Amino acid sequence: MRPAKPSASPSLECRGLSKHYGSGRVVLAGLDFVLGEGEFVAVMGDSGVGKSTLLHLIAGLDVADSGEVLIDGEPVLSLSDDDATRLRRQKLGFVFQAFHVLPHLTLYQNVAVPLLLNNLSPTPAHDMLAAVGLGGRGNDMPRELSGGELQRVAIARALVHRPRLILADEPTGNLDPQTAHEVLELLRAEIKATRAAAVMVTHSEAAAAFADRVLILSQGALHDRARKATAAR
Amino acid sequence: MSTPKTGRGLTTLARWMLGAQWRSHRGRALVAMVTIALGVGLGYAVYLINGAAFNEFSAAARSLSGQADLQVRGAQPFMDEAIYPRLAMRVGVTAASPVLEVDVALPGKSTTLKVLGMDAFRARRMTPDLVSIPSSQAMLDVLADDALFLSPSAKAWLGAQDGAHVTLLGGTSPITLRVAGGILRARPGQRIGVMDIAAVQTHFHLQGKLSHVDLQLARGVDSDAFRQALQSELGTHLVVDAPSDVESRTDRLSRAYRINMNVLALMALFTGAFLVFATQAAGVVRQRAQLAMLRVLGMTRMDLVRQILLEGGLLGLGGGVLGIALGFMVAALALRVFGGDLGGGYFPGVEPRVAFEPIASAIFLLLGVGVALAGSLVPALEAAKAQPAPALKAGSEELALAPFGTPWPALACLVVGVALALVPPVNGVPVAGYGAMALLLVGAIALMPRLTAMVFRRASARRVARQGNVATMLALARLANAPGQASIAMGGVLSSFALIVAMAIMVASFRVSVEHWLAHLLSADIYGRVVQGGDAAGLRPDQQAQVAAVGGIAHVAFARVSRLTLDVAKPPVALIARELDAADPDATLQMTGNVLQPTSWHSGETPVWASEAMVDLYGYRLGQRLELPVGGRGERFVVAGIWRDYVRQTGALQMRVADYRRLTGDVSATDMSITLRPSTTATQVIHALKKLPFGDALEFSQPGEIRARTLTTFDRAFAVTYLLEAVAMVIGLFGVGATFSTQALARAHEFGMLRHVGVTVRQILAMIAAEAGWLTLLGIAMGCALGFAISLILVFVVNPQSFHWSISLHVPWAEIVMIGCAMLVSSCVTAVLAGHRAVSMDAVRAVREDW
Amino acid sequence: MRWLWGALFFAATAWAGAAQVADVTPGRAIDWPKDSGAHPAYRIEWWYVTGWLETPDHQPLGFQVTFFRSGTTHEAKGGEDVSAFDPSQLIIAHVALADPAYGRLVHDQNIARQGFGLAYAKVGQTDLRLDTWHMTRAPDGTYTVVADATGLALHITLTPTQPLMLQGEQGYSRKGPLAGQASYYYSEPQLKVHGSVRRPSATGAASESVAVTGHAWLDHEWSNSLMTAGTAGWDWFGANLDDGAALTAFRVRDSGGHVIWAHATLRDRDGHTTQFGPAEVEFIPERQWRSPRTDSVYPVAFQVRMGAMRWHVSPLIDDQELDARESTFMVYWEGAVTLTGDGASAGRRGRGYLELTGYTRNATLQAW
Repeated sequence: MRPAKPSASPSLECRGLSKHYGSGRVVLAGLDFVLGEGEFVAVMGDSGVGKSTLLHLIAGLDVADSGEVLIDGEPVLSLSDDDATRLRRQKLGFVFQAFHVLPHLTLYQNVAVPLLLNNLSPTPAHDMLAAVGLGGRGNDMPRELSGGELQRVAIARALVHRPRLILADEPTGNLDPQTAHEVLELLRAEIKATRAAAVMVTHSEAAAAFADRVLILSQGALHDRARKATAAR
Repeated sequence: MSTPKTGRGLTTLARWMLGAQWRSHRGRALVAMVTIALGVGLGYAVYLINGAAFNEFSAAARSLSGQADLQVRGAQPFMDEAIYPRLAMRVGVTAASPVLEVDVALPGKSTTLKVLGMDAFRARRMTPDLVSIPSSQAMLDVLADDALFLSPSAKAWLGAQDGAHVTLLGGTSPITLRVAGGILRARPGQRIGVMDIAAVQTHFHLQGKLSHVDLQLARGVDSDAFRQALQSELGTHLVVDAPSDVESRTDRLSRAYRINMNVLALMALFTGAFLVFATQAAGVVRQRAQLAMLRVLGMTRMDLVRQILLEGGLLGLGGGVLGIALGFMVAALALRVFGGDLGGGYFPGVEPRVAFEPIASAIFLLLGVGVALAGSLVPALEAAKAQPAPALKAGSEELALAPFGTPWPALACLVVGVALALVPPVNGVPVAGYGAMALLLVGAIALMPRLTAMVFRRASARRVARQGNVATMLALARLANAPGQASIAMGGVLSSFALIVAMAIMVASFRVSVEHWLAHLLSADIYGRVVQGGDAAGLRPDQQAQVAAVGGIAHVAFARVSRLTLDVAKPPVALIARELDAADPDATLQMTGNVLQPTSWHSGETPVWASEAMVDLYGYRLGQRLELPVGGRGERFVVAGIWRDYVRQTGALQMRVADYRRLTGDVSATDMSITLRPSTTATQVIHALKKLPFGDALEFSQPGEIRARTLTTFDRAFAVTYLLEAVAMVIGLFGVGATFSTQALARAHEFGMLRHVGVTVRQILAMIAAEAGWLTLLGIAMGCALGFAISLILVFVVNPQSFHWSISLHVPWAEIVMIGCAMLVSSCVTAVLAGHRAVSMDAVRAVREDW
Repeated sequence: MRWLWGALFFAATAWAGAAQVADVTPGRAIDWPKDSGAHPAYRIEWWYVTGWLETPDHQPLGFQVTFFRSGTTHEAKGGEDVSAFDPSQLIIAHVALADPAYGRLVHDQNIARQGFGLAYAKVGQTDLRLDTWHMTRAPDGTYTVVADATGLALHITLTPTQPLMLQGEQGYSRKGPLAGQASYYYSEPQLKVHGSVRRPSATGAASESVAVTGHAWLDHEWSNSLMTAGTAGWDWFGANLDDGAALTAFRVRDSGGHVIWAHATLRDRDGHTTQFGPAEVEFIPERQWRSPRTDSVYPVAFQVRMGAMRWHVSPLIDDQELDARESTFMVYWEGAVTLTGDGASAGRRGRGYLELTGYTRNATLQAW
């Protein structure tokens, strides 16, 4: 496991990011954004405003019209698909609304996938599963789990290889409020424990409350919203 | 910062994912494996059976020439023995062994016994295996004129032990011989007898005749040069053979048959490849989100391609290994139960044993793996090309299959395929014809998505305008908009139905042509022949007169059938001397094209009518002037016509019996066709003929029997074809089933949604059935068209090139409609069964299973 | 007098029926030179040439060339039905060379049915052929013998130096106590030999021919089946003595080793002939040799008593065993020997050939 290395450059920087859909609708227009190390932001906005697109652009999964995304100071958008893929597997972690836990691998195997892709030993996956409260259930299959448990597995998978940046797309969208609360607590705790930066796209104010700051995406740009006190702890 | 391309981590991951695939889709993987196993197994079995039969047949043929360096034979079956001392005393020859071979009929046996007349003193070193073993008390039996030595299987066949007496039919009279012992070594199943050469000459009235003289050359003599010098000295009436020619002849005789069998078997494998493609493509569609997630997590495109190919390759390997085992077992069983003859009749009288062949096994194994890899390649590339972000959303199936819609490669395949059909054969094998068939098949399958979309869009538009029922409308809408998936299912139907139609048309065309040919040929009331497979003397003129004098006979046409060797490397051609009306040969033979009228012959020329095979194999043309090893040197012959022959694919020549008698002085007859007087029955006449002194040596049949026998033989020859056809159909249905069930599962969401908006389960099932029905119907229609195209290639390219005869086209509509209906029904049933599972699945579970 | 040859050959065969054969009777005068040709009416006949040769470097060699003619019981049919391959007459030939430098006998054999000009024994004058081997007698009485065999070759001419030697009673030679056990038999001893020989080589490489000279002995004998019941074998020798005399002696043994019949003939240089009956001839074995190939034990050295004469017979080389199972089904010992006189024949010396048969267990083996 690599220690999170202290870095002078910000974990994520977007410069003049622009994107329009095939239909001609402009989603992002010269978006600028900087995320410091260990910082956890929530991005909110109306449906279809381009929140997921922003995440995809940051992850190198979609192509921008112009602008640049820097992760740990490294430009993403100019990378080839293979290099972007390598950058993704080393420096990024993902949490999705639909969990996307691989159904035919055990929990342990699911969590170990990022380690294996980075050619690392898979054993830390055990500790990671324990850290998300699923210790000892490494041999279970995903179909035996509840939604909350699946999302815990996803969080473990997103963090196991100590990425620099976590991207979470509506992580609690499929969960009931109680479970959502537990999952967000876990997510925040783990992000802070690994000192990763995080961008969470969400509709939920309750979820946004777990972030260090909340940004609103509208008209192709991000706007700071007054910082709220973190949820009761 | 970049990690090695494949480290331990990736290897572990690959293993885990293979395990996961196996756990989750065991059934589908097994079906794919079994399909490949069937294809590989069938191909391998056919190869093994043919190979074993061929090798055994060659070995048996070779054992008859033993240690000989060269063999001198007559172009006709027998040659004058005067050549023997000339050869024996020739410089460079260390040993010469004369042999007189006769195929002898036995009372109550349908096949003949090959009896070799040999000089034991001369044969000892030349053909040590064939040395006769007398009892130690009667060494001189090797010279005795009543002693016959039999191979073990000949003894078993005749049920004769040493000391027993057996009766042979020598020409037209019975000869009783004493079984005086065995021969030193015979191949299993080889039925031969050995006698003193003088005894064979006298018993079979072949004084002065030899079949061949085997030669051993002195050390240091250049065998090829010696052979050429000798051949040029001997002229065309005698041929000098090397042992390798035996193999060459056996090879040529059966090559087309063996290759056609192998190609048929490989078609099953091709269908298997399609199933792997369907399985893998469906898998890629079904797992698009999982694959996208792996991409998000950091799997490169190459990693993904490798993973999917690995899966496919393993399926191929498993199927291949299974197929090799299966093929070996089938071959061993078939050889034990049916013998080496797959119905083609090319390898009589041998008992081959199947032998494991490492190289051939490796090739078939690789074929299995290659087919599976090829089937996985397109889906793998598709999966790698997919953008992960959209793939994480539902409903992206069609994106994954979009490139199948590009028409140009498919059209190129079709064009090249048609062009290949016009290319001549390579080394007697219609390679290009097979290539053309494969390309048409591939091109048509690749063109399907576009066609599906076109047809169903139009149909859908019309249907919407007419406000039909919900299920039909939904089905057409889906088919119109999801051509990629639809085409996978249809490809299975298309390929198997096309193959079935092609085979059915080919076999029917052939069978009908043979029937017409028989009807043309069988104009007499009774056909008779001297029961003797070989070439020994037939009926003498006085015996012929006795036959003609039998009451109730209006006319007897006698014929003399023998063999001619025109090229040592090729099997001999048949020479048939019979009554022929030179002005109207079509009355007796089925002529193709024009005939040369007697007015166009030059004086002194003898007309011969050549079979179609002579045109292909020896380049004969109508009106060609040539010399033949018949009669004296310098006789001129002219090809007066080309006729169709479905019996002798190695070639046959017909001439007037009067010409034959004039040229050769041979007035005997081996065959006769009898026309009866009105008011007599065939049975009466046959009875009377059998009462002649030589009646036992004659065999009679009536046109009906001949027809029935010929068609039975025909059907037996094609029995394996029917089997292969059935396998292709089963594999095709497998493919349909696999595609529909994966799609049905993938569409559980869609079905759930439809139910929410108020569509009933019954309607959904009706929609599925309608979809499958429409799709299969289109597949069948296209398969029919494609099959017809392929059958044209089979009938007009592959068949003439392989067997050197032409056939005319006949389409068995009833059979095709029947198979089409069966296919339609079975694919609808499969689709509904698969859909039923999907519809009854609850939404959450569907999400878990499928996301 | 190698008559048992044929007898044994035919003993190994079963007769389907008796063919027409001529009888051997006393009083039939030898018709010379017509009788040097073949006698197809008799079942067995042979021309047997043995002798000693000397190479240019004075190395001694023993040689033997034999042509047999054997009438089988296969009855030749007359008329157009007869096959040219008719096996009623077989021709068998042996050739052997005893070369002390090589250490053991080298021999070759062949057999064929008469016909096609490839194998024959002609009537009226010695003219014998078996493929490339042949032996012919010219009108002047000289013989040409050619045998190119595997491992050796003989190209020699034989020139008579003495008149014909008629054996037995003017060529009627008895072989046993019964009158029917007899053959027609003459010899030509003291034949001068010229020619060339290709000797066997231990390395197997083809060796050059060498010129040779020497003396030989020809036996020509024809008969029918002469087998005496109980005969197990015989010992025979014939020798050219240095003083120009010719000597033959033989005994026939039964299976118990007892002598059934014995006889000896000595013709001096001047033609004076002495016959020795069974009671006057005795063979006393002096030394034995065991064949490493067949395990047979042959008495290769003898002391032979004929009346008051004694002869010590000793071999040129011990290993002169001849395996003829391929042609006559027999293994026997046939070799060059020297004779040294003792007693009444003291001081006389000679060189000849000794034949020892019936010493092999399983003499007729599975050769075919």
